[in-house]
Amino acid sequence: MGTLSESLFGIIENRISPVAARLSTQRHVTAIKDGFISSMPFLIVGSFMLLFAHPPFSADSQWAIAKWWLGMVASYSEQIMTPYNMTMGIMAVYIAAAIAYNLALSYKMNGFMAACLSLMSFLIVAAPQTNGSLPVGSLGGEGIFTAILVALYSTELMHFLQKHNIGIKLPEQVPPKIRQSFDLLIPILAILLTLFPLSLLIQHHFGMLLPQAIMAIFAPVISASDSLPAVLIAVLLCHLLWFAGIHGAVIVGGILQAFWLTNLGINQQALNAGAPITQIFIEPFWQFFIVVGGSGSTMGLVFLYLRSRAPHLRSIGKLGLVPSMFNINEPIIFGSPVVMNPLLFIPFITAPMVNAIIAWVATRTSLVNHIVSLAPWTTPGPIGAAWSTGWDYRAIILVAVLIGVSTLIYYPFFKIYERQLLAQAEAEEKQTLQTAESH
Amino acid sequence: MKKILLCCAGGMSTSMLVQKMEKEAKEQGIAVEMLAVGFDDFASQIDAWDCCLLGPQIKYKLAEFQAIAAEKHKPVAVINTMDYGMMNGKKVLNDALALINSRGE
Repeated sequence: MGTLSESLFGIIENRISPVAARLSTQRHVTAIKDGFISSMPFLIVGSFMLLFAHPPFSADSQWAIAKWWLGMVASYSEQIMTPYNMTMGIMAVYIAAAIAYNLALSYKMNGFMAACLSLMSFLIVAAPQTNGSLPVGSLGGEGIFTAILVALYSTELMHFLQKHNIGIKLPEQVPPKIRQSFDLLIPILAILLTLFPLSLLIQHHFGMLLPQAIMAIFAPVISASDSLPAVLIAVLLCHLLWFAGIHGAVIVGGILQAFWLTNLGINQQALNAGAPITQIFIEPFWQFFIVVGGSGSTMGLVFLYLRSRAPHLRSIGKLGLVPSMFNINEPIIFGSPVVMNPLLFIPFITAPMVNAIIAWVATRTSLVNHIVSLAPWTTPGPIGAAWSTGWDYRAIILVAVLIGVSTLIYYPFFKIYERQLLAQAEAEEKQTLQTAESH
Repeated sequence: MKKILLCCAGGMSTSMLVQKMEKEAKEQGIAVEMLAVGFDDFASQIDAWDCCLLGPQIKYKLAEFQAIAAEKHKPVAVINTMDYGMMNGKKVLNDALALINSRGE
């Protein structure tokens, strides 16, 4: 097995990791990822508020609280929906501004100005005023890919103009603050002269707004992203990177976030319309079902460690227990270590893959609800799972099952590893005894 | 007063290590200030600190961060994997202090 595993590790370390590392330090990829991170609080709170509009009770429930809640929703649905509508419902607005801000900072440009420029560009193509109001249809999930493209375009345009010193020249005596107020005039004009005609052209020819056209182009990719093979590939890649000691979840999640949010937008729209909910692969599905207790789904492994006969594993278990409940498992990954450990490699990759398959089937067969809300990734698994499925108690049971299954997968490998460590400790002890005797 | 910045993906697991290091510093009577941040805060934070230690899971950021920190003559290093896993506050603290001192020579 030696050469095979060595060549496999060689590929991970020398081929996959450098590409992933380069990708995740690339300027635009970083700006997109950081933009999503900055927008996340609005989306988490917003999607939490959405759940108030959809009580987890059936319409004929006789329970007093349920009746009161359902009654409130029936009479004040618009007011109850407002916090959601103005956050998650128009998430692409925040994302457009946040990505431009982060990209501008990476060029050491004025982030606020870039964010405003991007916001304007996005609104022009995604929500042109009609009958005295802004249509919001393309400002939510449908607008995410457009928001990314527009933010990158407008900030790059601003950067280009600045780099080539194209702008309004003012005499030296003009104070910097005033000079700054002129800085944005040319970029705004440039947007109006490029992006706006493009938008008009698409509206005229196809009868769609730009975001709708972009979504039509991305549709096959989005539907491919919401499939079991895609999930398994993403899980595999993430864990191969972790195995090389690199934070795979940040890299893979950063790339997937646009798809996750688009899928979430589709689900929430269906929920609000009372239509069947279809999309499965969304961040909480990953966080609370696939990787319970952190990457590698190590919650079960921690329980095994706690009762291990090997003192090293026991101390890692103690150290890792509480953080693992909040999905932080660096002590487990680096302390065991899982990184570059051929023995733990197999369950570390297998456990989350098996979890993914089980959770996928459970969602498809309606054993648990689809994901309709975000929750902070540090929420303990069972709570996060129930929260993000719209308070479905069956999600808690599913998480318990998944922990059980991953414990079983880890168990044989854990046993072998434990025996190795004990044998090692014994050998070392003997050696010290021998050296002591020979003296 | 030595000032040590720690940096990982979200500043979560390094904050656990900071706790251990603070305890150790107190026992040894060393005056240090420490902070754990996510890597997106590195560029805005590094000015205010003497050195930065990266969690091993973001070692791929080392070259990028060293380039940023070099302008300000601040050393950046990756924490030893096993010390990180074991949350060995004592060892990491000593390494950090050695890192700051090495710059002065």
